[in-house]
Amino acid sequence: MVPSSWREGGMDFRSESEQGAIMETIRSEGAARESYGFSAESGERKSARERLVQHLGRCADRASLSAGLRALTDYVSASHFLLVRHDASPEAGLEAVVGSDWPFDLVRCIAATIVASQSRMGELDKCLTLLKPCFSHLADDVAVPAGISREYCIIAFHVGRVRMSLLLLFPEHFILSQSKLRDVGVMTGYFASVCCKGAILRHDREMELTEREIECLYWIAEGKTSDEIAVILGISRNTINNYITSVMRKTATKTRSEAIAWAVRNSLV
Amino acid sequence: MDIQLPASATLETEIRLARPAKATRASDFVSRLQVIQTILGAQHFAVLRLTGHGLPSARKLTLSLHNWGQDVDGNARALIEAHGAAMLAHLEVSMLPLIWEGAGDSHFAESGAAPFTERLPARLVPWSGMAFPVRLGAHGNGYVVFLGTFIAPSSDLVVDMHMKSCQVLIDMLASEEKKLAPSEALSEREITCLQMAGDGCISEAIAEKMGLSVHTVNAYLGTATTKLDAVNRIQAIAKAIRLGYIT
Repeated sequence: MVPSSWREGGMDFRSESEQGAIMETIRSEGAARESYGFSAESGERKSARERLVQHLGRCADRASLSAGLRALTDYVSASHFLLVRHDASPEAGLEAVVGSDWPFDLVRCIAATIVASQSRMGELDKCLTLLKPCFSHLADDVAVPAGISREYCIIAFHVGRVRMSLLLLFPEHFILSQSKLRDVGVMTGYFASVCCKGAILRHDREMELTEREIECLYWIAEGKTSDEIAVILGISRNTINNYITSVMRKTATKTRSEAIAWAVRNSLV
Repeated sequence: MDIQLPASATLETEIRLARPAKATRASDFVSRLQVIQTILGAQHFAVLRLTGHGLPSARKLTLSLHNWGQDVDGNARALIEAHGAAMLAHLEVSMLPLIWEGAGDSHFAESGAAPFTERLPARLVPWSGMAFPVRLGAHGNGYVVFLGTFIAPSSDLVVDMHMKSCQVLIDMLASEEKKLAPSEALSEREITCLQMAGDGCISEAIAEKMGLSVHTVNAYLGTATTKLDAVNRIQAIAKAIRLGYIT
């Protein structure tokens, strides 16, 4: 299924700890090479990537979203993909899943955890880890398919305002190439920009707040009172309060604090 | 869940520490961008960053790094007047690179990654160009733009250069990172109170759930506000979310 020349690691019979150490070395070698300005690897790999872009171009409509993600997954020799968006509210659960061929039980277990762990990160950390492949472990009580590693890889990227993550499962004792993972980050971003365009725009329209309402939210988040905002915007205090009431109604929030929290979470302010 | 740090992160910091401090930073970015510019066969680069945090009407692109030798203001204005609005709107919804042809007979711009590139109207500015949108999140968003007369990268180049452009903006953000981070760490209780306040509970409700008096809850929220250098509870909640203390 995958040409053996693509594999950068493989089965061997060393102890766990040795393998861990080797994995680190290989990952950091890749990173070192890249940090010196050599772009990943050249030669035959290049053409594989060009072919992938062409293939994605053909898949680029909503109907073949999973075909495209499949091709991206095969490109890094991973086995299963899960694409999630982070702008859905935590209660929405599976709404956050854009596409997946993970076993359903696994998705159910993990989707909430992933979304929660993302929102635990500081904004700056989120910005700095963009497009960097990170590795993480599945909890011990989760059943994984036979031969699949408990370790999985996450790559985050932004499609416009929406943050998305691609999660990849891969076979046990298998090492994914860092540079290919980075390629996949960018290309999944491109692919999702085309494929999920409708979904992203629609989501934007759903939370229609007016410019004025957002302006008020912004100043409140900066710690201003209604009186101060009235001076800043040159409109009456009551109008400001009306705007805020209307925001709270539209967003189904109970207090000002909750409305601001909502706006910050959705990066409106 | 323990998240294993990618080995590259530690390695990069080591390399960064070995470099001489601040003064060389800007020139460091310039040389990296010049490498990309050469690879793409462009004559100039420009980094446009999104400013006016929060307010949609106040958002605009401003020039933060470039290698135009002369008439910088005029060039930047021409570019932003012609394509600025389209670029701003694009940055909100998509990650696809933008490409356009400049005014003049010999201009040509074509991307090898055709379905994954968007074309802007031709002949509005004197240069052909390619712009890579970089959306990092709450901070440091913008475009890395390359200008020339003949721009025709293969899809391989587009992906590679987009990645490098992202990295440049990520590093630029990391180098100006000072502003955030509270003076003192928040306590467990303060975080719990902030979280509940952000979830729409009033002080009375928080007090009841935590088995504390309303005054104690208000005191916790007060100290949290001070530590976060905020003027009131609402700003404290906004800052706590941005810093990742609460969700």
